[in-house]
Amino acid sequence: MTGRRNFTGKGARCTENYLEFAKAMLAASKFALVLLSAAVLIRCLRSLLSEKLEPEIWAYLRVGRETLPVSHWENTVGQSRSADLRVDRPGIGRVHAVLTRSDRGLWRIFDVFSKGGVWVNGVKVGEQGAPLEHGDVVNLAGTNARFLDTTPEKRGNLAHARTSAGHSISPALTLVDLTLFQLCLLLQHVLSARREELSAIALGFLTLILLQWCCYVAMRLINRSGFEVETLAFYLTSLGMSVAASSTPEDLYKQILLTAAAVALFLFFGWWLRNLRRTALMRVPMALAALALLAVNTAFSEAVFGARNWLEFGGYSFQPSELVKVAYIYVGAATMDRLYRRKNLFGFIAFSAVCVIALALIGDFGTALIFFISFLVISFMRSGSIATVFLAVTGAGLAGFLAVSVRPYIAQRFASWGHVWEDVYDTGYQQTRAMSAAASGGLFGKGAGSGWLKDIFAANTDMVFAMVCEELGLFVGVCMVLAVLVLAFFAVRSARHGRSAYYAIAACAAMSMQLTQLALNVFGSMDILPFTGVTFPFVSRGGSSLLSCWLLMAFIKGADNRRDASFAVRPADQDSGRRPEPEDRKAGRA
Amino acid sequence: MKKITNRAFSVLLIAALVIVGMTVYVLRYVDHGRDWALYFSRANSGSAGELIDRNGISLAAFSGGESRFAGDALTRTANYHVTGDYWGRSSTGLLSSYWSEMQGFDLLTGTTQAESSILRLSIDSKLNTEAYEALGADRKGAVLLCDYTTGELLCMVSGPSVDPADADAVPGEGAYINRCLSSVFVPGSVFKLITAAAAIEQIPDIESRSFYCEGKTSIAGVDIICSGEHYTQTFEQALSNSCNVAFAQIAVLLGQDTMVRYVTEYGFLDKHDLDGIPTAAGSYPTEFVGDPELGWSGIGQSTDMLNPYALLRFVSAVGNGGVLCEPRLLLDDEEPEVSRYMPAETAERLKQMMNYNVVSHYGGEERFPGLRLCAKTGTAELGDGTSHAWFAGFLDDEKHPYAFVVLVERGGGGLTVAGELANTLLQAAVRR
Repeated sequence: MTGRRNFTGKGARCTENYLEFAKAMLAASKFALVLLSAAVLIRCLRSLLSEKLEPEIWAYLRVGRETLPVSHWENTVGQSRSADLRVDRPGIGRVHAVLTRSDRGLWRIFDVFSKGGVWVNGVKVGEQGAPLEHGDVVNLAGTNARFLDTTPEKRGNLAHARTSAGHSISPALTLVDLTLFQLCLLLQHVLSARREELSAIALGFLTLILLQWCCYVAMRLINRSGFEVETLAFYLTSLGMSVAASSTPEDLYKQILLTAAAVALFLFFGWWLRNLRRTALMRVPMALAALALLAVNTAFSEAVFGARNWLEFGGYSFQPSELVKVAYIYVGAATMDRLYRRKNLFGFIAFSAVCVIALALIGDFGTALIFFISFLVISFMRSGSIATVFLAVTGAGLAGFLAVSVRPYIAQRFASWGHVWEDVYDTGYQQTRAMSAAASGGLFGKGAGSGWLKDIFAANTDMVFAMVCEELGLFVGVCMVLAVLVLAFFAVRSARHGRSAYYAIAACAAMSMQLTQLALNVFGSMDILPFTGVTFPFVSRGGSSLLSCWLLMAFIKGADNRRDASFAVRPADQDSGRRPEPEDRKAGRA
Repeated sequence: MKKITNRAFSVLLIAALVIVGMTVYVLRYVDHGRDWALYFSRANSGSAGELIDRNGISLAAFSGGESRFAGDALTRTANYHVTGDYWGRSSTGLLSSYWSEMQGFDLLTGTTQAESSILRLSIDSKLNTEAYEALGADRKGAVLLCDYTTGELLCMVSGPSVDPADADAVPGEGAYINRCLSSVFVPGSVFKLITAAAAIEQIPDIESRSFYCEGKTSIAGVDIICSGEHYTQTFEQALSNSCNVAFAQIAVLLGQDTMVRYVTEYGFLDKHDLDGIPTAAGSYPTEFVGDPELGWSGIGQSTDMLNPYALLRFVSAVGNGGVLCEPRLLLDDEEPEVSRYMPAETAERLKQMMNYNVVSHYGGEERFPGLRLCAKTGTAELGDGTSHAWFAGFLDDEKHPYAFVVLVERGGGGLTVAGELANTLLQAAVRR
């Protein structure tokens, strides 16, 4: 027992008994932490893997005797094997047309620079596309197809036939496991914390438990049953709470408030994403806001240990780059009609370049790298062009070389990479201590709050993986990484069913951002990569980072359209807002 | 959509890299976790440990994240090469070499506290302090003293040293090297003890031979210079005169193979192990060299290099009648490790000769009052006008069975410099 608690009065025997008891409790809770972590992860993973591929059906396209179900809001029509609606007739291009549905239920068809042309009811479709209604005849380079829309009732019936989320694995039981996990963490902290910090720590974990159950009940009330993403996010947030309780117990109340705010923002942002039109309309303002934030940051920020990525704001400091991450994905993701009409990525590349250069100017090279990887993922998903990716990598390589030669401290990090044990008092200071602490925890850890790394600068941010390994053990450390991996698998899987390319791209970009951040954090502190000093998603201490992580989860919820799974997705039989006015329809048809 | 969602696998590529990275980490953890963990967690972990000397004086202790050394700077500095430090600057100190015993590690539980983490040392820290003061802060050197009947090492001092508790201390050149264990030096005349031991066993009429010295001799046309003109002398007188002429001739008489065999058997070419701390191996010409070079090697020149600790083993075996009690640093209940080092007759004859050295040439009772001393000096010329001062031997005294080696690097004359220091050391050891 290495507790910091002082025992007074009561007599030695009583203390001795207590110590024995505490020791046994600690040992038991260490095993419980590992088992419960595994249970939470396995249940979430199984729940995701056991879902069958059951596409939603929004309309039908009848070509001759064949009836093709339209299973997305954005569909390519053409001869290509990868076309969503494959029409293999002479004269039809590989990707001939794009068929889209708005979240008001209005369909449109676009001619994607086809040779054979597209006509709706005999009227040639221009570049701006043409509206499409139930029973309309679409002529694709001489092949006639009839478009059959679905009624809300029909869609309701179709949706009902799909398996609902949480069908095979009960999310409530997973949440019970998570709650037990949090209680075990709390127990370990109670055994090691100072008396005056106990109430804050207890409040922290109990708030978390309350928050997650409130979220769960709210979901059930609106008849939603997919809770894996939230469960994993709460799992990681609990680890973050544990790290905060160990390292900065005096700031815990702030952390609790920020956690609550982060969850609230996540719910709001998820709700915002429900409406694709609204979401897409706000892309330009969002881009401008991001640029403004970066500009303010570049101009007014204070340098904190090399990087000037902090803004002081009425006693609170925050990192604008964290919020820009969310905006970046929000702006970078795009709907498919846009992708096919404007093939070039020029606007997005320019936006990305400004972001990355601003971050480099601020000196936040870790975040710049994260943006760059996300840029690669987004631009690849948008264009499918390996050439663009290759060009970007070459350009970034040159820029990186320039950065290294201009900023000596970055060159130094590269120089010490792989040799940290040769200079444990200077260039290898943080990494060697992180590695030593992580190893000294063994597989089960020294117990929450009982490590020594927490007293070292940046232990709870850049070296947080080591801190978790030291206090909670390598098993929990690995589970922490696995939790993010499961989220990534989930994002990729959800993307396949996605209604719109926007949600698919956003979810994948969000997770590639998180994965890159994780890799730089863990492998940087463990000397497998150069040390860049970025945060671990959810777990590293820092309010802005926690906010952005939760906001990014909303993108994943937006892509999850298993039946009744996500609050960020409207049920199939509901359309947004009012049906369009008759004038709109006429104007569209003219 | 299909096309775009297919490209979502680029995210899985990043995920795969993360999995590869984690695998690398886990493999490295299995491989190096122990080294990593023990590097810093020594003083940082909750475990406790202490180093105490043979009289119960605490030299270093750590517990609950706090670490400390002995109270006064002189004790800390004098004993630095025994304790080492918490940061591994001196690789031979006990704090560096004994972590795994004072604090355990296994992959399953990480660092663990050993049941008994108090190490009792055979060292007498006060004797160390006196020896360190006698050596002086400015001189480089090595002082070793052990009980040859038990092997317990009572004194081990290396200069220059450093105060481990003083973060601002400027260490002298090579202060982190323990010259007793980790260094080798040109032996000069102390090496004649080894040549003499070989001669006693291998040249049957050695005692009846006489050696003539007129200041130099010529071996195969190469001159070997002596320190004086000793004229006709017996074997015993030749050792006490430290006559280069006589011992160069003896070495040639023995032949290189015999010399190499003896140097090897006595363990001068080996790395030894002082309770887990490795020592440096000495050297001797083992490849064929001509007679002149062999002559030089027999008097401790040529390419001869000697480790002070290896010499301590030799003199303590001679003192103990040819039986070596392997020196040790830790006081525990284990029996001393005993082995036959040389025949008793050889040891007895060497002892007589070394005693004759002291009585007839080194000033006997006058220079070493009250000591029944058997010893040999060495003034190892380095060719640049300076010389290492050596003095090695033992007390022929049942109550004070001490063997010792004193070396002052570039200190000057063996008797005047190292002999003086040895007297101070032995008087202090006998007094205690």
